Amino acid sequence: MPRIKRRQFIKGMAGGVAAVGVGLSGLRYLEPAGVASASPLTSAPEEKLYRTGHSNNCDGSCGHTVHVVGNRATFIESAPWESSIDGKVKEDYPPRICLRGVSQLQNTYSPDRVKYPYRRVGPRGSGKWERISWEEATTAIAENFRKAQEKYGAKSVWIAPYTGSLSLIEGVIGAGYRFASAIGASAGDFEGDNEGDSACPAGFNYVLADPTLPANGGGIFDGHEYLDYLNSKVIFLWANNLAETSIPDWRTICDARKNGTKLVVLDPRYTPTAAAADLWVPIRPGTDTALVDGMIRWIIQNKRFDEAYVRQYTVAPYLIHPLTKKFLKHKDIVAGGEDKYLVVDEQDGSVKKWDDPGLSKPSLWGTHAVGALKARTALQVLADTLNKYTPEYTAKITDVDAKTVVQLAELYAGNHPAGVKAGFGLSHWYRADLTFQALLTLSALTGNIGVHGGGVTIYSGALLTTAYDIPSWFYPDKKQYTYLPPMQACDAMLESKPYPVKAAWFMVDNYAQQMSDRNKVMKALNSLDFLVVSDYVLSATAELADIVLPACTYLEKTDLLGSGNYYLQYMPKTIQPLWESKSDFEAIGLVAEKMGVGQYFHKTPDDFIKEVLHIGDPQADPTVRGLTWDQLTKGAYRLNTESVPYVPFYNKQFPTKSGKIEFYVELLIPYEQEVCDYKEQAEAFPNNPLLQKYPLVFLSTHTRFRTHSQYCNLPWLKEINNNGEGFLEINPRDAAKRGIADGDVVRVFNGRGEMKVRARLTEGIKQGVTNCYQGGWATRQVKHYIEGHPNNLTHQIANPAQTIVPNFQSNAAYYDCLVQVEKVKG
Amino acid sequence: MTKHWGMVIDQNRCVGCWTCAVSCKSINNEPLGIFWNRVLTGEPSASASVSGAPPASQAIDVPHGVFPNLALAYQPTACQHCADAPCEKVCPVSATFRREDGVVLVDFERCIGCRYCLAACPYGARAFNWEKEQYAPDFPVGYGRDYRTGGRLVFTPVRPVGVAEKCTFCVERIDVGKKPMCVETCPAGARIFGDLNDPASEVSQAVNRQGGRQLLADLGTRPSVYYLAVDRQGRLTD
Repeated sequence: MPRIKRRQFIKGMAGGVAAVGVGLSGLRYLEPAGVASASPLTSAPEEKLYRTGHSNNCDGSCGHTVHVVGNRATFIESAPWESSIDGKVKEDYPPRICLRGVSQLQNTYSPDRVKYPYRRVGPRGSGKWERISWEEATTAIAENFRKAQEKYGAKSVWIAPYTGSLSLIEGVIGAGYRFASAIGASAGDFEGDNEGDSACPAGFNYVLADPTLPANGGGIFDGHEYLDYLNSKVIFLWANNLAETSIPDWRTICDARKNGTKLVVLDPRYTPTAAAADLWVPIRPGTDTALVDGMIRWIIQNKRFDEAYVRQYTVAPYLIHPLTKKFLKHKDIVAGGEDKYLVVDEQDGSVKKWDDPGLSKPSLWGTHAVGALKARTALQVLADTLNKYTPEYTAKITDVDAKTVVQLAELYAGNHPAGVKAGFGLSHWYRADLTFQALLTLSALTGNIGVHGGGVTIYSGALLTTAYDIPSWFYPDKKQYTYLPPMQACDAMLESKPYPVKAAWFMVDNYAQQMSDRNKVMKALNSLDFLVVSDYVLSATAELADIVLPACTYLEKTDLLGSGNYYLQYMPKTIQPLWESKSDFEAIGLVAEKMGVGQYFHKTPDDFIKEVLHIGDPQADPTVRGLTWDQLTKGAYRLNTESVPYVPFYNKQFPTKSGKIEFYVELLIPYEQEVCDYKEQAEAFPNNPLLQKYPLVFLSTHTRFRTHSQYCNLPWLKEINNNGEGFLEINPRDAAKRGIADGDVVRVFNGRGEMKVRARLTEGIKQGVTNCYQGGWATRQVKHYIEGHPNNLTHQIANPAQTIVPNFQSNAAYYDCLVQVEKVKG
Repeated sequence: MTKHWGMVIDQNRCVGCWTCAVSCKSINNEPLGIFWNRVLTGEPSASASVSGAPPASQAIDVPHGVFPNLALAYQPTACQHCADAPCEKVCPVSATFRREDGVVLVDFERCIGCRYCLAACPYGARAFNWEKEQYAPDFPVGYGRDYRTGGRLVFTPVRPVGVAEKCTFCVERIDVGKKPMCVETCPAGARIFGDLNDPASEVSQAVNRQGGRQLLADLGTRPSVYYLAVDRQGRLTD
């Protein structure tokens, strides 16, 4: 026999027993399951096929073909993709589906579904409910919202339609915003200020899109289409466990590697992605900026940057005012001069305006006398500031050895184009904005921005939202909601800062579990006068509600998915809503009617989709111009884009003040962050004295078995995932120090809270780092952790630098978290 | 020439996502607790076996080695559709049979529940319906109806008590020119299906070009499933 390592086993094996660990009876919530009983067919059923998009917030935007027999969905498989709207391009677009997508049948028919509207009858969170009618529920919502608005002002009602769905009619750009505007309430920002995903987008704006320019509307964001990685010579998956979390994209990475593309993975954990890489770099969490700085220094020192690109497309040659630190302008040195950048002509050393026709070639380097001032070029400032990041110094901060620092820099600079695909784990840090700023600086220096196969991407597909007419959708009759992001909502509820929030309506959002600093969140939600939650399961948030509304899953409602890729995916209602569930759109319409703003919801989702896409309008956004209703509803058509695969800034027009890539960021001068010099995180950084007390970094990463808190309790997914039970990954050496053995129950704690969970000893995690997959349920009836939740430990400290980008002004730094772990005795 | 259906699984592409296993459950309406197809976490160099492995999926994704010198590979494992199938040999009632095209099947109407086949299969590829099984959802999903080949009942959505079951290569699909669901759905493109008797087919070419490995080949079962082992050449660290 060959040497056998047996690692895994699922029940139903030879000699095994068929007793099932995933019984349904214990999971039923408010009512016995109402799904019809089995009636197997012996002949071919009358099957209807629907094409829809899975609006799940993994950003995968998979296309699903749903098989429907009668009013039952019976199978889900991947769906085909069409050409661009104008018919000019047909991509070789691979099928997209993963285990979560296939499992959506179980999600829709789950015994965990909330089936009817309920009113709380016991104390909040006591689990005592009374079934009520939709009429009673919507009347109560309208009355209580009105009461709060009369007493505390219109803004005191907070509507929170978040990322549980990325579709147009419901979810993160959904009808909740239209409703908030109609009644003058508060709401979060659809652009992405949703909990932990906004820091990297903020960094994107620092460098590539000045947020103070009206054209940028407070902040923009996009990335390379994932098929563009076929064009990369080297791919850096930075804090990105793509093979587990964006599974269908993995095929593209494999296809690229077949053509010789090298794959580098930076992650403190040995993930399935890391295991497949050509080079795995287990970096110390939170020190990524320093590693990028080390790479930049090496590239500059060894002249491996793209000189022509840097001169043409970046602010490198512009002089910096030595006193104000701002760009030195012509008006600064000549009374009544022009508001124009100054450069030094390499030929004769003279100072000229950047667009002087007599300029031969602007100098990239040096300190130059300009009158009485000694001004350096922006590139010189960058090089001087980062000069301390020798490979050895970088190694000390990052725990990546000096040789590898150089190897990474060589790999990145020596393989053009080099694409960075970050994971949102990179954004879950207090200073993730700075990390993104650094990566874009690295990318700019090597001529990788706006070129196929290059760039720094953390999300792609935002172009679709620019194709939508969002103002007409969000702001009926020019009424506009007040912006209150989730990172500020708790303070509004608890301390009336910046103003009181006394009532809230959560839709496709599990704030009570998924927001950081959960103890604070629970306190805040419990302080509300009135809380409504629409959900298809009784989430931790729904448990606290005064009224729970039964929501639909994506199979039961009409919507439009345009996110994550560049295809428009119409989402038809594939089955009639089960039990008494209604779409959030319908629920909103009923409440709106009772609040006197029903007129804004009298159209159907189809009508709104037509309006938002300007179907048939010759003035429609160029990306969707010419789209017909027939196209939209028959298949998934691709936006018309200049570049295919899509590359942001393909035309090298950058929406910054200078029109160039601004790796020197004037707006960040008050935060001493004008260039990407590494700074410590708020909590998890080397040498923080708090490490004495809480010596382990605590990550709460994503797993393939769920998307945030969705799908955690589906039998198919639980069976292959430790029966759904969470665990703490810890290095055996850290465990040994604490007398912890594999499978022991441990207490994970810090000053903010604690959780209990079983330990899983694995060599696949760096010493000093722990990880507990986030998203498991912590409700009265379903506990995927023994006690508590990873977010009992995380904090809500926001980085003030980000406030310069209004759309991405605060970020939950989930991973910036220190803990201690101890064995639970007995 | 008759066909010989076979499959190639490229372990360089497989990242253990389990999409194959879950779509298999869905198309074949597999009862809770029963898997025709499992993804084993193993060492890149060795072939893993499921027989007698530790319970459940507790050790999923746990690598071999000592930090930072680690290795991890995945091996999706289902019926190997052996040309010399031990399960077929031990079946006292010929409920297990091998079609001319190489597909090994169970006749649900003939199976008497003796479970010799479960003991004989060295891959642990078979499961047994001890009792009236539970399903979720609690109505048949996937193919959703009976399928017979040569008059024999080889698929039925709700399993009779006391029968053995296993991967059928999605016989009802391949008989109408479709691919098995795991091949169709694999998000990594790690699975190839085709005719091993046709030297021009993608499966034959992959085996010839990349040296496909059969699991437990020394047992002489002659599986129709080949694995392309993880190739670490060209890595930057080794």
